[in-house]
Amino acid sequence: MTTELGMPTLGVLQTAAPHPLRLVLNWGRRYSLWVFNFGLACCAIEFIATSMARHDFIRFGVIPFAHGPRQADLMVTSGTVSDKMAPALRRLWEQMAEPKYVISFGACSNSGGPYWDSYCVTKGVDQIIPVDVYVPGCPPRPEALLQAIVKLQEKIADENLRDRYTRRAPGVGALTRGLVHGSPTGTVTVSAPSAASGQAPGSADTPRSSS
Amino acid sequence: MDTAAASEVSAAANEISRTSGPGTGGSGGRPVTVGLGAGGLATSDMVLNIGPQHPATHGVLRLRLVVDAERIVSAEPVVGYMHRGAEKLFEVRDYRQIIVLANRHDWLSAFANELGVVLATEEMLGMEVPERAVWIRTLLSEINRILSHLMFLGSYPLELGAITPVFYSFREREELQSVLEEVSGGRIHYMFNRVGGLKEDVPAGWTVRVAQALRAVRHRMPDLENILMGNEILRGRTLGVGVLPRELAAAYGVSGPIARAGGLDLDLRRDEPYLAYGELFAPGGPGRVVTRQEGDCYARLEVLLEQVQVSLDIAETCVDRLRSLGNGPVNVRLPKVLKVPAGHVYRWTENPLGINGYYLVSRGDKVPWRLKLRSASFNNVQVLSEMLPGCLLADMVSIMGSMFFVVGDVDK
Amino acid sequence: MTGRTGRRRIGIGTGLVQGLIVTAKTMLRPSHTDEYPDVRPSLPSRSRGVIGLVQENCTSCGLCARECPDWCIQIEAHKETLPAVAGGRARQRNVLDSFTIDFSLCMYCGICVEVCPFDALIWSSEFEYAEYDIVDLTHDRGRLSQWAATAPPPPPADPAAVEPKEVGAARKALERAAKKAAAPRTAPAGASPAAKKAAAAEKAAAVKKAVPVEKAVPVERQATEPPEERGTGARGEADS
Repeated sequence: MTTELGMPTLGVLQTAAPHPLRLVLNWGRRYSLWVFNFGLACCAIEFIATSMARHDFIRFGVIPFAHGPRQADLMVTSGTVSDKMAPALRRLWEQMAEPKYVISFGACSNSGGPYWDSYCVTKGVDQIIPVDVYVPGCPPRPEALLQAIVKLQEKIADENLRDRYTRRAPGVGALTRGLVHGSPTGTVTVSAPSAASGQAPGSADTPRSSS
Repeated sequence: MDTAAASEVSAAANEISRTSGPGTGGSGGRPVTVGLGAGGLATSDMVLNIGPQHPATHGVLRLRLVVDAERIVSAEPVVGYMHRGAEKLFEVRDYRQIIVLANRHDWLSAFANELGVVLATEEMLGMEVPERAVWIRTLLSEINRILSHLMFLGSYPLELGAITPVFYSFREREELQSVLEEVSGGRIHYMFNRVGGLKEDVPAGWTVRVAQALRAVRHRMPDLENILMGNEILRGRTLGVGVLPRELAAAYGVSGPIARAGGLDLDLRRDEPYLAYGELFAPGGPGRVVTRQEGDCYARLEVLLEQVQVSLDIAETCVDRLRSLGNGPVNVRLPKVLKVPAGHVYRWTENPLGINGYYLVSRGDKVPWRLKLRSASFNNVQVLSEMLPGCLLADMVSIMGSMFFVVGDVDK
Repeated sequence: MTGRTGRRRIGIGTGLVQGLIVTAKTMLRPSHTDEYPDVRPSLPSRSRGVIGLVQENCTSCGLCARECPDWCIQIEAHKETLPAVAGGRARQRNVLDSFTIDFSLCMYCGICVEVCPFDALIWSSEFEYAEYDIVDLTHDRGRLSQWAATAPPPPPADPAAVEPKEVGAARKALERAAKKAAAPRTAPAGASPAAKKAAAAEKAAAVKKAVPVEKAVPVERQATEPPEERGTGARGEADS
């Protein structure tokens, strides 16, 4: 039924850029995050509060004027994702152009939160889209979102997009880490390179078929 | 779905440009198309899907509109995108845990939601709440009402295209949220009610800070009012648009500021007083019910704005009263396992958005057998299917925004 | 409602001008933006930011885990038999193996803090713990203890509030101790344990007067006795 519009792909500049150039590109990406507020529930109010004058995340270069997912670089899923809403969420995420980032804002979107035993709530938005930063709270304070944005910017600053997209290969539903704490210190490495690259070929770009 | 909708939108735009602009002044009926050449351009009904994620529908309400050119033929709100099954979850949680979940369905008026649950439970238990707790509860629920109204006073103009007012309203919200956080520890979800009273007493000096915050909000409210109500664009988009007559409101069970804007003079704080409202709404008290007769979007906005003033008055009276009250507890001692005797009770409260009802059925367990929510927004949204037909597509945004609903409250 | 803002028709443009005046006025006022990463927000001490664990107080009774609406607390413990001290019998006590709170699930209701009989869980107002991986949001007891160290003291209660149960009990105990100390005046000063106790009690009373806390137990513990003794004592009583 839908027309396949194709996803804008990363240019050669992005993938094969030498280090100094990448630094500049990352720097540019870091401070102009056009944000798409996927406001669903209570947390959306705190998201709005963050965008208002008191907390004002435009100070960080987060611009809340994206008119739709196509213009956005960053999606903030704030609130409970119900099973009925999940396809729409996935779809809008797919419509965002690369490189794109996702902040999961609040307990509901982290793991279902208060509705962990509900029959109609998706237990964590990371089941359907990859998440870059998780913000705990129910709802988190506006300052917590600001901290998450700073954290995301740090991540963007030292990332290599080629790594990012080749590493994401197995598709979002796949298991890329252990289900329980690996080490007593609680540090679990985010990427599992051997397992990930094993399944990598053929699905290197973003998965298009919605689940 | 979206790309299909987008192509439909562009088709609609084409049709709109072909029809004779806004020259469809009559109320209801089909638009008159101006014919070019032989015969008029035929317009055909088209289904337009708006939402679930759409800037014009704050939250995730979806509307299925059938439009003929730019006039809406029929509208059907499709609810359920925010359904979280709270009522089912209530059945496996004890009464303290329910409070946590209950305040989340209408996230703008968390305190009022908690209140309904504990009032119903207290009635079942035949429990007497200490006077001090009653007054603190009244104060907090009025502050919560102001918070909720301020949110809509900011977001409604935003939907109409005015970005500035929301900054003013959030400034006041932050002011009030900080005093609420100081007393309860939460900015949105307070979790401050308990069966039999409140979690704990207020911190020292809090009443002074509340009074200060209320004064500051009252002092700055004229700014918000000036920026909003005189504005020609806002008046142009809201005056006479989306009239919700009294009878229709009553028929659909619409309540709260929306119904009162159309002359349905119903306010549970006065008509069936709970907490300390009996005294506050008595003659000579600060409470009064704000009504309008016109029932259009502008009247709904006016009611909201004036209710903020009334709530400020009530809250200030509560603060004064709280200061003059003697020492006293704010809660009663509960048994270790709170079991509510078998039976059922229906309690309703005047939430910021309208009447919220709680039907509590207990079979003597520590969890309710059923706790049914009657949420205000659900009814307020249903009436859209009556109000929207005959309106222009462009007015849809201003009508829907002025219905002041919270999607979580619609879907529960 | 003022007539200015009513339904009455007003001159063209006056509304816009009115709004612009408000904007201009606001422009001249200082902004109220919080410079968050540079300036830390001053949060009220009741603010529910993160839950801290005072490990010494935890008897691993599991009340918090059972009462949590989200089941986000996980406790593992084993029993340990303490050798009998002279004249006593062997006692058993629980030893905490692991205590984790999954903050990705936690709904910050505070029920666990409320039900904890030994005040092992306390609220801290810290909020900066967003993570790249959701697994890291499950905080183990080491991390939870770090949060406990950041917990602010509870605010003094309103003068009109009734005295909390703990404070009342502590006050009565102090009065009793003071009476006891006052009775044997003839005993050599400083040598008798009763006098020592009374001095400690006075100190505690002074502390309490300064901070009329609701949860007086931890504060009092610090003021009067070394923490280990009291802690194990309470635990022993609870277990036996």
